[in-house]
This record gives sequence, structure tokens and C-alpha cells, in this order.
Amino acid sequence: MADSLGVGRLPARRYWINKTTKWIVALGGASVIGAITLVFAYLLWVVAPIFAGGDISAGQEVAVTERDVKLVDVSENGDVYLRLSADGIIEFYRAEDGRPISGFDLGIKVKQAQRVYPEVDLYSLLNEENQLTFISTRYIVSFADGVRKLTPSVDFPFGRKPIQLDNPSQYDVYLNENELMLASAKGRRLTLSRYRNVEPGMPLPKPRSVQLSAQHDVDYLYLGPRNEWLYAISQGGEIEVLDIKPINRITRLYLGRLTPEGEQITAMDSLLGRYSLVVSNPNGLIQQWSLFKDPTGTRLEPIRNFQLDQPARQFVLEPRRKGFAAVDERGTITLLYPTSGRIIASHDGQLSVGRPMVISPRSNLLISATTDSQLSTLVLKNKHPEISFSTLWQQVWYEGYEAPIYSWQSSSADNDFEPKFSLTPLAFGTLKAAFYALLFAVPIAIMGAVYTAYFMAPQMRNWVKPGIEIMAALPTVILGFIGGLWLAPIIEANLSSVLGILVVLPVTLFLLALGWSQLPETVTKPLAGWYGLIAVPLIIVAVYLSFDVGPFLEQHLFGGDSRTWFREVLGLNYDQRNALVVGVIMGLAVIPTIFSITEDAIYGVPQHLTNGSLALGATPWQTLTRVVLLTASPGIFSAVMIGMGRAVGETMIVLMATGNTPLMDFNIFEGMRTFAANIAVELPESEVDSSHYRILFLAALVLFILTFLFNTFAEVVRQRLRARYGSL
Amino acid sequence: MQKIRNFTRDWFASGEPWIWLNAAAVGISISAVVGILGLIAVKGFAHFWPSQVMLIEYQDEYGQAQQVFGELVELDTIPVQQFIESGGKEEWVDPNSDIMNRWLIKTGNRKISPPDFRWLFENQIHSKQPQTGVVVLERIEWGNAYGIPNSLTINQRPQDPAQNPTQTIRGEGLYTVLLERVARANALRSEVDALESGVLNGINYQLERLRLERRGLLARGDDNSPRLTEIELLQNELRADYEVSEAQLRALYEELDQDLLNLTTASGEVLAVPVADILHTWSPNDMSRLEKTGHYFAAIWRFLTEDPREANTEGGIFPAIFGTILMVLLMSLLVTPFGVIAAVYLREYARQGVFVRVIRIAVNNLAGVPSIVYGVFGLGFFVYFLGGNIDRLFYSEALPSPTFGTPGLVWASLTLALLTVPVVIVSTEEGLTRIPRSLREGSLALGATKAETLFKVILPMASPAILTGIILAVARAAGEVAPLMLVGVVKLAPTLPLDGNFPFLHLDRKFMHLGFHIYDVGFQSPNVEAARPLVYATALLLVIIIVTLNLTAITLRSRLEQKYRGVES
Repeated sequence: MADSLGVGRLPARRYWINKTTKWIVALGGASVIGAITLVFAYLLWVVAPIFAGGDISAGQEVAVTERDVKLVDVSENGDVYLRLSADGIIEFYRAEDGRPISGFDLGIKVKQAQRVYPEVDLYSLLNEENQLTFISTRYIVSFADGVRKLTPSVDFPFGRKPIQLDNPSQYDVYLNENELMLASAKGRRLTLSRYRNVEPGMPLPKPRSVQLSAQHDVDYLYLGPRNEWLYAISQGGEIEVLDIKPINRITRLYLGRLTPEGEQITAMDSLLGRYSLVVSNPNGLIQQWSLFKDPTGTRLEPIRNFQLDQPARQFVLEPRRKGFAAVDERGTITLLYPTSGRIIASHDGQLSVGRPMVISPRSNLLISATTDSQLSTLVLKNKHPEISFSTLWQQVWYEGYEAPIYSWQSSSADNDFEPKFSLTPLAFGTLKAAFYALLFAVPIAIMGAVYTAYFMAPQMRNWVKPGIEIMAALPTVILGFIGGLWLAPIIEANLSSVLGILVVLPVTLFLLALGWSQLPETVTKPLAGWYGLIAVPLIIVAVYLSFDVGPFLEQHLFGGDSRTWFREVLGLNYDQRNALVVGVIMGLAVIPTIFSITEDAIYGVPQHLTNGSLALGATPWQTLTRVVLLTASPGIFSAVMIGMGRAVGETMIVLMATGNTPLMDFNIFEGMRTFAANIAVELPESEVDSSHYRILFLAALVLFILTFLFNTFAEVVRQRLRARYGSL
Repeated sequence: MQKIRNFTRDWFASGEPWIWLNAAAVGISISAVVGILGLIAVKGFAHFWPSQVMLIEYQDEYGQAQQVFGELVELDTIPVQQFIESGGKEEWVDPNSDIMNRWLIKTGNRKISPPDFRWLFENQIHSKQPQTGVVVLERIEWGNAYGIPNSLTINQRPQDPAQNPTQTIRGEGLYTVLLERVARANALRSEVDALESGVLNGINYQLERLRLERRGLLARGDDNSPRLTEIELLQNELRADYEVSEAQLRALYEELDQDLLNLTTASGEVLAVPVADILHTWSPNDMSRLEKTGHYFAAIWRFLTEDPREANTEGGIFPAIFGTILMVLLMSLLVTPFGVIAAVYLREYARQGVFVRVIRIAVNNLAGVPSIVYGVFGLGFFVYFLGGNIDRLFYSEALPSPTFGTPGLVWASLTLALLTVPVVIVSTEEGLTRIPRSLREGSLALGATKAETLFKVILPMASPAILTGIILAVARAAGEVAPLMLVGVVKLAPTLPLDGNFPFLHLDRKFMHLGFHIYDVGFQSPNVEAARPLVYATALLLVIIIVTLNLTAITLRSRLEQKYRGVES
């Protein structure tokens, strides 16, 4: 309209200023939409990869000199391949182009070679004379002319002097910090040797050795976590688990079967951490077995099943995660992950069963010696295998636990820890905190708003409304601090008094109201709009009285100690920083939000409605409950929704006023961990782009969507209400 | 009976009891606000008052008589039952009472008789009375010391023994000399500070920049650049300067370390305190009310202007104040244009239709999104994505140590700008709505373009509303902590983000913040008891800032309302 007025006559400068302003302003408006889309899109972009499936694709084929290969491996970065052959030659190849870098003759005729658990660059070699030697590899990085160059080297970390074994059918080596355990089996006979204070570069000290006899032939042998257990398994599926922690007093933990009678094991291995075993039977069923203690003793139970078309013949483990790959007779490989129970991806017929193969430390490459003159690789895309809908939201049977549980435990000091990423306890904590906060806030805020909008004297209203605004502006960090350091100890020390307020306050209020009604009207009439202020001293008196009543209640109702009473009679544990504190303090943070919106809705009810009602003879109270509140109810509802949104996303109060333990218990005297507090605590420490990092982003996205829904819904309700007020 | 029944029925029908219930809800809200503000004010202000030092004689758990100097911090009660259950001594229980009074006493002298706070039961204390002659020493390390000065040795290692002979002072004049020597030490210490944080820091900063420049040149392959030799020369010069300043510093330290005070504690032990370690000393029991008031305001001033000590549990909060203000200033620079333009678009330019409705809902939603979500977004998008790319493009010579790819001031300001933009939009829009249509039409009718109307008529009239919006945004930002924990706030920043080294304002630096300070000191510090008064004081400052800002905004808004009531009529 404005632009069309005499545009032709405008000097160029004015014209351009006008145009540019218009564009800049439009851009500014669009950028608001842009910002909110960007927030949403970015969160989604970070979260998306955890739901992307895995993939296996064929990698390189490298033709190499023909040798009888015993072991292959790949360096940390995946840029150097390693091949060890029976004649004791170890060779390194550049991954880029498959060109050999160097080779060493170890001077050992290798019969068998394997990684020393849990290392990735330490190997044990068994020679034809059943002597065991350890070698380790190193890759030295140098820069020459700006080109990164890797120089592999091999050494004997514990010297060249071998350990003599007695023609074992199986052996296992576990290096637990500086304690090296060597277990070997021949028929039923087991030999255990423990080397203490082992240091690379020093010869192995004298071991402490023990021999014992198993209940059955031993075809698979695994040392358990931190050299505390020993699993001995026969081909027929019998298993014996021994407690070898006191090496001089070995006891049996468990004796049983992994497969039904008569079924042979087709493949088996023990996953990272050595807490669980994976076993394949001839029907293609792969079971994960885990040892755990319960009141009846130690048990080994299958905690998870995977069903494949073909029985697995060989397992390949991920060295840094609990995942593994199963290879069947036809050479098909399937990637599996225990925690999530996911069958991630499979790839057909490129591998040959029984040949050396290994997964790289970063779990992105599988290298195998398909024939004696070829190295082939498979590229594994499998960044977040531990996450699935069920691990995030359903109960999961973690290894070492006696039953499936909901648990959030994202990190630990141990590398072989199984992360527990269930969002359910966090969602539960979030809702619990919001529930108790609203339980406290909603009645107070709505009743307060009703009084302020409908009964309060205008002069007082002019003071109360800014007061509530100040309340809304109080930083939550201060409320949280008051809650955690001031209120929590007070409630803990005077629990019965605090509960007493619930009784004392209504009673004193009732008495005051009763007394007030007996006063002459000349006194009460001018003060009609000031009840809110008159109630303040009463509240102070009531709180004071409660602290007198408290010890009485403590003695006569709670038998001397209320916290003990709650624990013993109702089974409620008491934490100092609990949901009650959060409810009160977060309630205070939510009250102003609900209060203001409700007050607006009630105040906005058209005057003629109330006048009509009063004219028909209704009392103000009847008018309020039957006309005003009914009309304003959508507004009140949207106020509660917005309050809910605020309570769900509140961070600092929960962080400071609870113990932040991810419990699944609705007990008002215990704490909780919410999405928001969890993000604040864990995000700064999580590794960028790890599963943990992305799950925290997912938690933020969930919060975003939740509050988005609450707010949009509330906003739509309010807009409708406004339209209705307009039409009335 | 019938009468009572009738009365009850009528009374309930009139709704009177329910009205009282509703009124009580308002009362609870008011009491909560006033109560919280009052609690913080009382505890916060009380922290600075020089309380009397008592000589307390008590019996410890082993039945030994003990004497200690201390300040009474607070009185607390616990139920007798709880006391007995926690293994308390029966003989301290008063049989006529089922609660026990206990005092929290600040005894200081952490090094020789820890802990520096202890709880003593009323019945365990034989006597407590103010002791004259006790001085309180506020030390750089180890908290306060309490005791009676015994002797003061000055000029222990004088450079010029003739002029400054070694002297030991006892008795009468000791306290006066002590005050003088503490003042001297403080003066020397501020010289040390100026040298350390000013000169040496500056040299280090320049050296680091030169090192990075050299690394950048080499990485680019400019091996023969003449600049390389220049850099080497400059580096050598700076190193020489450094040596000089360091020598000065050593001399200053020598000067500083001349005096030793011997203090007798209540138990008779002698505590030797180098005067160089004493920041401040006073003898509360011998001070007049006026002197105490002076001390009180001086203590507040020091709290506001000094750096924190002892893992933030002592000293001042200047860096936190500074960081908060700087961050908020930057944020308002970012948020104002964005918010105002968006509001102008919504009110003045956009066709009121579905699109505008969607934007309004979006704005409301932005206001309702939890602040931690902004923090997550800020960390992911601003810090790792934007910052990471800026580092790769412009600061590659410093990699792998990040410059902008790590939480810092600019990212915190940006994140909070995003967080507070709805506040500015809503407030500005409100102001624009109030401007009568006739004014716009008048301006257009006189031949002004739409832009001219906007700049010359509408915006000036809406400026108080815009200001209100900015003030509210600033208040919100000043109190926000959760997102800041992710995008740039730290518990202790070694340097301020603004200093004398080019480019003066360091947007990439991490900073301290009042709100985070409260969280950190109150919940993460090892000695919560010692830190608590300081947390109250910090909270008080934050509350004062925020309440003032909000009251300003509220006043401004109500003035505005009145003004437009005039225009509209």
C-alpha cells in the first residue's frame, strides 16, 4: 500500500533504502523459523546415525607370497596389514596399495598363534615343540617431507626364552594389568600358571603353577574377567566354571551344559570382558551365556538368542566392543551385537571357514587370509551397534545380571564395561520430578490466580502481579541451591514437622475463616480484597506451629523417628535430596508460569457473563465455579501444559536438589535423574560422535519434541479461547 | 444445633472458606518470594560482618578439656534420638529436653588444628566469651587464622641492614606495626600481580602468537620467508624482556618475604605466619561499631573486586562478575537486531495469515524449549561444527589444540542470544501493537516511505518496549546456567576474556559466571561448610542484579502503558 504511493517520484536513495529495509526485515522474520528448524534439524542430524543400520562390503584383495598363514592382523588405524606364517616369518603390508613394507624372521616354527587377551598388539606363538613365546608389534610414525610414514617393528616383550607346555589341545593367555595368566588343557588335565608383576621388556618372573582335572574333556578354554574364573567346555557342550582367584584353593562355581544332550557345539568364544560366552549349535541358534550370582548360588544362563539360517562355524570378536561376527560353512559372515540383540548385517560367501581372520581394533575392517597367497578385507560399517529401540526403551538382560532390567550407566573405569543406555529410567525420573512439582504448583498457582483475578483488590493486584514476575525471574540455580543446601537438610531434620504443615495449615486457615465470619461487616467489608495479605501472617504462624506439632507427631505417630518409620512400615527409603525437595522447589519455579497464564484466562472472561450470573442471584463464589472457571478452563488447561513443559526441561534445580541417581521408584523420599540433568552432567565428558554423545543428543531431541508438543498444543488451545472470548 | 447447621451450610454456600483457601495460595506464593529473597539477603549480607571471636572451652568426645578461638556461625537443633543413634555421648543430653542445640563454630587454623569448622553441642561447651586481643588473619592459603599476636619480626633478611634493621616487636605497639606491615605486603603484592598478570602474561601471549605464526609459515612451506628471521629476532627480544621482568619479580618476592608473625592460639600453640601470606587482619573484639561498619563495607568491596582463592571458596568473585557482564553484553548485541527485526516483520511487514501464525507459534515454542536443549545445540552446532570449521580454515597452525572449536565466550553469547530472542520479539511486538494506526497513516500521508515511517516514527515510539525486551533478555541470560555449562563457562578461568593483549577481546576464551559459580562452589567444592556463606553472598549479588533488571523492565512497561493510554484517547 505504502510502496504503491508515488514510487516513480521517489529519489533513488529513498527508494533503495525502502526496498532494502523490506528485504532485511523479511529475512529477519524468516530467520526465526530458520532458527527453530535449524535446532530441530541439527539435533536430528546428530541423532540419525544411531538408527542407521550396519553394512558389510567387500574391501581389498591383496595378492601375497604363498605361505602357510597362522595369523593375520591390522594396525590400530587400519593402515598396515600383518601376516604371520608357520615358518616364523612376519610380514607387514601397506593397506593403501597392498605393497609389502617389511618382514622379519622370528626363527620360530609356529604351530598356533593368537592375540593375548585383551591386548591388540601382543601375541602368543606356540611352536612345534609346544613352547610358547610372546611377540609384540609396534608402528612408529614419522613425517618426512610432509608424508606420514609408518615403520613397523617386532620385539619379544618378555624375552626370547619360551615357556614349555605339554602338547595342549587348547590354551588361553590373559594379561590383567601386570598379572599374566596362562591356562592350558590336554584332555581333562588343566594347567594354570600365574605370573605376577609382569613388565614389558623384562623376562617373565617365576610363575605359580597348579594342575587340576576337569569333569570332562576340555575343547574350549577361556580365562574369565580379571583372571578370576576359568571356563572349560567340551565339544559336547558340557561346561565347568572354576573360581581361580585364590589359585591355591580353586573351587567350582558351576557345572552344567551349554547345548542339549547330544548336540555338538559348532563354534564358540568368549566376548570382550570375558563375562559371557557365545555358543552356536547345529541348528543355527547362537546363544549368549552369562554367569551371575543370585540367592541360590552362581548360575550360568542363556541371556540372549540369535537365530541364523546356517550354524556358525567360527566366531570373530571385536577387540574393543562386545560385538562379534559369525562365519558359516558357505563363508557367509553375519555381524551380531549382544546388548542390543541386533543382527546387524551379513555378507555372502567371501570367507573360508577355519582360516585366520580378525576384526581391526576400531571394528571397521575384517581381514582374513582367504588362501595362503591372498589377504582380503571386508569393510564393516557398524558405528552404533549397541543401540536399538529395545536397548533404549525396554528391559535389557545385561551380562552378569540375574534378570533383564532398565538401567542407565553410561561409563565406567573399565574398558570392557557394557554400557547401559536405557532412556526409560531417565524418562521416568523426568516425569517423576515434573509430577511432584506440578502436584505442589498446580493447586497453589491456580487457586492463587483465581483469587488474584477475581477477588483481589486492584491496589493489591498491582503489587502481586510484579511480585509473581519477580518469582518467575529468580534464577533456577539459586532455587536449586536453596533446595539442595538449605531446604533439604531442614526437611531431613524435621520431616514430621514438614508433613505436619499439611494438616496444620488448613486447620488454622479454617479457624481464621470462621473467626473472620464472626467479625462485624464494617471491619470485614473494606478488607474483602486483601485476604491474600491477611493470610501471610497466618501462614507464618501455621509453619511455626507445625514445628511445635512436629516432635509430637514424631513421637506418637512415627514412633520416635519418622525416617525409620517410613522405611520400616511403608518400605520407603529416605535420601536427603529427594523428590519432595524437588517438588517444592521446582514447584516454586513453575508456579509463576501457571499463575500468569491462568490469571490472564480468568481475568479475560467477558464481564457480561459474570454480571449476568450475579444478576440472576448467584453468589460470587457460585459465579466463579459455575461460569468463570468453566469458561476459562481451556486457558487453565493450557497453563498446566506450559507449566509441565517447564518442569520437564528444568535442569539446575534437579541437578542440585536431587542425588541424580537413575532410579525407577516413585518414592517421594528418593531422588531421580532427569533427561536434562543427565545431559548437563554427562555431555561435557562424552566423546564427540560416540554412541553416548548421540544418545545424549537424542535425549535433548526427546525433550525438544516433548516441550514442542506441550507448547504447541497449549498455544492452539489459547488461540481458540481468545477467539471464543472475542465472539462472546 | 439447628442454628449451627444452618450457619455452616450458608457459610459454605457463600464460598467464604474456599475464598480463604484461594487467598492462602496467593499468600504462600508471596511468602515464598519474600522468604527466599529475605533468606538470601540475610545470609548474604551477614557474611561480611566481623563477628566476635570467642574463647570457647569445651569437652571433646574423649572427655578432654579443649580451648579454641572461633566465630559462632549458626545454631541448630537436632532431636535427642538422632543424637543417640549417631553414637553421641549420653552425658551431654539434657534429660528435660528432647532436642539438642548445637553450634557451628568457625575455628580456622586449618593447618594446625583441622577441621576449620566444627559442630559443638551446647551442653558440651563450658564457657564461651569474647576474648580481647584476638586477631583474625585472612591468609592467602589455609583460610583464616585466629590467635593472640605474640611477636612480630620485621626485616628478617634486609638488603640494607643499616636502614631497615631486623627488629622483633612485642606487646603494645605490635598490632599497629602489624597493620602497617600487612599494608606494605599488600602494596608489594599488587606490584607482583601487575608484573605477573600484566607484563609476563603479555610476553607469554606474544611468544605464543609468534610460535603459531612460525608454525603456520612452515606448514605452508614458506621456509625462506624473511618473516621467519624477524620472528626469531622478536622472540629473542621478548625472551630478554622476560628475563628482566623475572628478575624484578624475584626482587619483589624477596622484599615481600621479610616479616614473620608469631601467633598464640587458644590451646597455647604458637603459629608462625609470614606476613607475606596475610591479606588482611582485624581484631573484631576490640573494634567499635563504626570500625566494624567500615570493615563491613571494605569486605563487601573486596568481595566484589578480588579474584577467588582456595578453589573459589574464599576471596572475591570479580572474574565471575566480569564474565557474566561481558557475556550478557555480547549477547544483547547479537539478540537486539535479530529480535527487533523479527518483531517488525511480524507486525509491520508480514501479511497476517497462516505463515505469520506459524511464526508466532514458533516463537512461543522457542521460548518454551528447555534451556539445556539450547546448550546441547550450542555445543554441537556452534562449538563443534562452526568452531571446528573456523579452526580448520583460520587457525590450522594451532591444531590439534582447538581455538574456536572448544567452548568459549562467543559461543556462550550466541547460544544465549538464541535462547532469549523470543523475549525480545514478544516485548517489541507488544510495543508495536500499542502504536496507534493513525500515527503510521499520518506519516505515510505526509509522503514518507514505509522505511522512513519505521525509522522515524515507529521505532522511536517503540524504543521503550524494545528496551524492556532487552532488559528482560539480559535478566534471563544472567541467571541461566545449564546451557552455559556446556558452551563456555568454567569454574576457574586463568585470564579474563578482555585484556591488554591484541585483539583485547578474546572471544575464544572460557569465562566465569555468577550462576555457575554458585553451582560449582555450593555443590562441587570439597569444603562446603566453608564455602556456604560465600555462595549466599554470590547468590545475593545475582539476585540483586536480576531483581533490579526485572523491576526496571516492569516499571518501564507500566510507564509505557500509561503513555499510550494518553495517545490512544
